[in-house]
Amino acid sequence: MAETTEKPFTLSVPDADIELLHKKLELARFPDELEGAGWDYGAPLADIKRLVAHWKQGFDWRKAEAEINKLPMFTRDIEVEGHGKLNIHYVHQKSEVKDAIPLLFVHGWPGDFLEVRKLLPLLTAKSSDNPSFHVVAISLPGFGFSEAPKKPGFAGRQYAEVLNNLMLSLGYNEYVYQGGDWGHIVGMHTVHHFGHKHIKAWHSNMPLSSRRPTLLTHPLILINTVFATTFDKSAREGIAKTLKFVQKGRGYFMEQATKPQTLGYSLEDSPVGLLAWIYEKLVGWTDSYPWTDDEVLEWISIYWFSRSGPAAAGRIYYEMTRGNSSEIFAGAQWSSVPLGVSYFPGELGRMPKSWSHLLGKLVFESEHDKGGHFAAFEQPEKLAGDLRKMYGKGGPAHGVVPGKNGYD
Amino acid sequence: MGSWARPFTVAVPDADIELLRKKLELATFPDELQGAGWDYGAPLADIKRLTTYWKDSFDWRKSEKAINELPQFTTDIEVDGFGSLNIHFVHQKSKVENAIPLLFVHGWPGHFLEVRKLLPILTSESPDHPSFHVVAPSLPGFGFSEAPNKPGFGGFQYAEVVNKLMLSLGYDEYVYQGGDLGHVVGVYATNAYGNKHIKAWHTNMPFYRAPTLFSNPLLFLEMLTTPFNTRMQEQFAAAKRFRTKGMGYFVLQATKPQTLGYSLADSPVGLLAWIYEKLHKAVDKYPWTENEVLEWISVYWFSRAGPAAPQHMYYGLTHGNEHDLFEGTRWTSTPLGVGFFPGEPVRLPKSWVHMIGKVLFESEHDAGGHFAAFEQPARLAGDLQKMFGKGGPVYGIVPGKDGYV
Repeated sequence: MAETTEKPFTLSVPDADIELLHKKLELARFPDELEGAGWDYGAPLADIKRLVAHWKQGFDWRKAEAEINKLPMFTRDIEVEGHGKLNIHYVHQKSEVKDAIPLLFVHGWPGDFLEVRKLLPLLTAKSSDNPSFHVVAISLPGFGFSEAPKKPGFAGRQYAEVLNNLMLSLGYNEYVYQGGDWGHIVGMHTVHHFGHKHIKAWHSNMPLSSRRPTLLTHPLILINTVFATTFDKSAREGIAKTLKFVQKGRGYFMEQATKPQTLGYSLEDSPVGLLAWIYEKLVGWTDSYPWTDDEVLEWISIYWFSRSGPAAAGRIYYEMTRGNSSEIFAGAQWSSVPLGVSYFPGELGRMPKSWSHLLGKLVFESEHDKGGHFAAFEQPEKLAGDLRKMYGKGGPAHGVVPGKNGYD
Repeated sequence: MGSWARPFTVAVPDADIELLRKKLELATFPDELQGAGWDYGAPLADIKRLTTYWKDSFDWRKSEKAINELPQFTTDIEVDGFGSLNIHFVHQKSKVENAIPLLFVHGWPGHFLEVRKLLPILTSESPDHPSFHVVAPSLPGFGFSEAPNKPGFGGFQYAEVVNKLMLSLGYDEYVYQGGDLGHVVGVYATNAYGNKHIKAWHTNMPFYRAPTLFSNPLLFLEMLTTPFNTRMQEQFAAAKRFRTKGMGYFVLQATKPQTLGYSLADSPVGLLAWIYEKLHKAVDKYPWTENEVLEWISVYWFSRAGPAAPQHMYYGLTHGNEHDLFEGTRWTSTPLGVGFFPGEPVRLPKSWVHMIGKVLFESEHDAGGHFAAFEQPARLAGDLQKMFGKGGPVYGIVPGKDGYV
């Protein structure tokens, strides 16, 4: 057995860090708000004040920490060419089904590894009716409890390497992949570099890309699009929603893609600032999810107490767009690795469904009537259900991983 | 019209200074990528150094005392549909009785103190150049002016405030100078009050919409030659660079100013970085001292409406990024003077200035950037003196007030 750097990981935030957080919260200074502002200008003042009050007195971090530590978590060093070794944090939950399908779950921003939490019991459960999975949920470099890259240039190829090397290091030479947000985007890159050889199939709950059909490249999809936008109300609404996001919802993207360091000083120094920055997305990007204050504050705390600090995470936008000068999918070509997609109504935007064929070899599609951007967190049964259908007996990706079809 | 102006003194409460110090004591910093330089935003070493200086060396009371040497006032200005806003302003009269009334309007992240170095030059008496009575307000939500408290405060509202301010001071006819959002407000103000109240104006950030075939066919055709025209390409390259790399703050402030505001109101380090990045990038080799930077940031930190308020102006001017900054405005015949400063990051082909107004004066400088009044006061004042002086293109444009004894 090759020597491994894997160590079990226990989350244990130092008392001094918790004390500093509380000292800062005691000094919190709030802005005013325009009359009747609602959500028009960003997170409402009453919400932020209420959450800060609960953070000061009510939210129990140690209790949340103890719960998180019930997950099987580890760290190990992963080599990335040109960037040396990064110490990577991950959840690794095996199923009792020996031939369960190895699945890599990848979060995005402002997400984290805990988005896998509700999926774990569903995916690892043993059943004659559904396939089982061994689940690996990584903290992306710079997020959660993984080290951040130290040098510029950590982009598509590098993320693909760290993800693939992690699975290989766990003995999963062939595996499947699930992701949304950056998990989807780096998924395109990882499948491009390691598809077929290592990634046998993948699933996305945010099937978006910058590709569009043209008369020369995809005439049928183009024609389908014209029909869809003319006659299909839902397709038109989807496009309108996408355009609205582009007009109103991309400020965070532009700032993080150009000046993540400038923004980072605020997020690192002000828990209130960090809370507002992320909370606005937690509410804006979900489909009427009934957030409790504890859920919100646990989520924000992961960023506040993260290993590399809250400023590091935003750099992924800069690196993946090269400072907003190239697009995020550059270098990730269409792949024939089987792809499944799920459409959730609360997602940031949607293009005509036929455009999913531009992302990869589409073998599975599922449309839901509830759920948003954080699908695994909001609608774990629906998302797990999609994976079960895709990989289960009779499903389009059944048995893609030789010898590990998910059943005993 | 407005009530009588009352003298104003900046007097930040001790408790506010103490809170700032406590926050700076607890400051926590991010790390930084190796060799990042300015690529990802303000460098860590700069921000740490400035934070330490702010905490240990910067003397706000000393700055405050010097600021209070300026003649400052507040007055209530009624804005249609928005009630009354208490507006802060500097009003420095020249000894020359018939000096030209000049309204100076700052932008973001600027403030009223940008007028400071211009005052002695513009108000000075000389047979060789005209003199000005200078009014420099804090825009609503900036400095020591109240902020609007209702949605919908747009370009014409900002113009209404500054025009009514001048009228309330007895300046029924006056001239205007602005850059950055001060230029944008100038476009709205000349649209609403040009020729009638604003007799002429000057901008150091000549920016407007692109020409269309219908608005200006000659300029439009020139734009089409860009693929073959190196000079045009060079002029567009700067604009493209700014649009790609430099507009994150704009889109964020135009869409989610409240979300951003929590950070800026709560973290002095965050506010420092947010503004310092612009102070560094937008100037032409200006040798900022720590004191200058921190005085500038402190005006934002200690501002009347708080540091979150100013950014709402971007939302207001664009209706939440639904349209450009100039919605509802057109070309006006109010005489316009333009100062081109080499370090101005927001620039378009020079010929496009004719899209804004009736250009009667152009001046090309070899030094100075975005904050022209602060960086190159003599040059900017020189433009105004030439433009409005004897022999200049708009000499005597304000009847009875030609600026000379």
